[in-house]
Amino acid sequence: MKKRGFGYGCIFYGTGYGNGFPDISRSIAELDTKGHINIYVGATEVGQGAKTILGQIAAEALDVPVEIVTLIHEDTSITPDAGTAAASRQTYNTGNAVKISAEELKKEIIVVAKGLLNEDHLEISNGVIRSNTSDKTLTLKDIAEASGGGFLRKDGIFQANTTEMDPETGQGNPYWPYTINAYAVEVEVDTTTGIVDIIRAACSQDVGRAINPSLVEGQIDGGFAMGLGYAIFEDINLDKGRIKHNRFTNYLIPTALDMPEIEKIIVEDPESTGPFGAKGIGEPVMIAAAPAILNAIYDAVGVRLTEIPVTPEKLLKALKKREG
Amino acid sequence: MKTINVKINGENYTREINEDMRLLDFIRDELKLYGTKEGCGEGECGACTVIMDGVTVNSCMVMAFQANNKEILTIEGMEDEKGLHPIQQAFLDEGAVQCGFCIPGMVLSAKALLDKNPKPSRKEIKEGISGNLCRCTGYNKIVDSIEKASQYLEGEDQ
Repeated sequence: MKKRGFGYGCIFYGTGYGNGFPDISRSIAELDTKGHINIYVGATEVGQGAKTILGQIAAEALDVPVEIVTLIHEDTSITPDAGTAAASRQTYNTGNAVKISAEELKKEIIVVAKGLLNEDHLEISNGVIRSNTSDKTLTLKDIAEASGGGFLRKDGIFQANTTEMDPETGQGNPYWPYTINAYAVEVEVDTTTGIVDIIRAACSQDVGRAINPSLVEGQIDGGFAMGLGYAIFEDINLDKGRIKHNRFTNYLIPTALDMPEIEKIIVEDPESTGPFGAKGIGEPVMIAAAPAILNAIYDAVGVRLTEIPVTPEKLLKALKKREG
Repeated sequence: MKTINVKINGENYTREINEDMRLLDFIRDELKLYGTKEGCGEGECGACTVIMDGVTVNSCMVMAFQANNKEILTIEGMEDEKGLHPIQQAFLDEGAVQCGFCIPGMVLSAKALLDKNPKPSRKEIKEGISGNLCRCTGYNKIVDSIEKASQYLEGEDQ
């Protein structure tokens, strides 16, 4: 018999290294001789989109077109350390460092421009330096040439706020900030085979502020797929310290056919300490999927599974046990 | 040693190869076409997918000599003088690429599907790429982009 059920999962997750571990990102913003902006960060792009959003953050902070910003990353001989692409920390931590370096460079550009124009009230707007009191303008190339053809460079350093928890009281400020989400799924359980099918899902994800909504959606899809595999498929089957399921024939990960359509809801509640309000979501997007699926299985067939993955064998055994 | 003639991405190659060479190694090591990826090396993940005589194959499971007198398309052959293939463009437009390792295989599976079935349903698209594993994207944006590619290709034909 096929039975359907709904389940929900809600989580909160502290991003960054946490518990007092120094969590520092560094960035350098540079105006080169062509009047283009280069951002140097040691941040690693692994497909999560760091390269895209760090360039966007720099462009926004400087008020220049994103097309003239080049992100130079991962080359440790020329980039400052921005920490690991881990702990869901690149958007928040390195994003802040990039924003600080871009803001410092902007100040420097304005200082040079003031000298050239003999004006006090200047701003950068869409890549052009404008006066608020006259119609005088300068290009970024003018600034690059005026500073002796050399490169204007400014550093940005950001350290996340984290303290060690008191081992006696459990109090402290281990993580900053926290990311929150709520997932809902509908499953169909085949009580004859024990196979669980995810019919559909809705994922609402607090991101502080979505620097790039399309990338956020991609992260939600990917996180849900990993959470789905974690919940019902992926079993490394450890035996005396050896992984027995060491190939894709027995360590099953979701295929396109296993993934439901997902309604993605991006919740924007800007984080006051984040770059333009943004927070990291890399890990959080995975976590709520498994509890939501296990709750939905309970709703569908009335058995409470407490061990993952809920393979067909385990589910059939639990159903049989309940029937006594 | 054995001599084979293979047409890859429209060009003819004649090479002497060892009988135990896999097609994947012929493509990567002999022809230096590094777009084709090796994932599991046992026909489960689809990262090494190429199209041979119109059909997708896992190039890790095909011996190079089996490609003798066959025509093969790899990811490098998708682009032409006009630029990216509409399927590649659709993947970019939909933001379907994350780490990118599965993408050459995904694009070729999408091409084989759309060549046979120009207007597939989402279910048919999912079936068409079910032999290509992806750990990052959760597939949904890849399915979106194959739907979009179908529209782009229809527009090209008109």
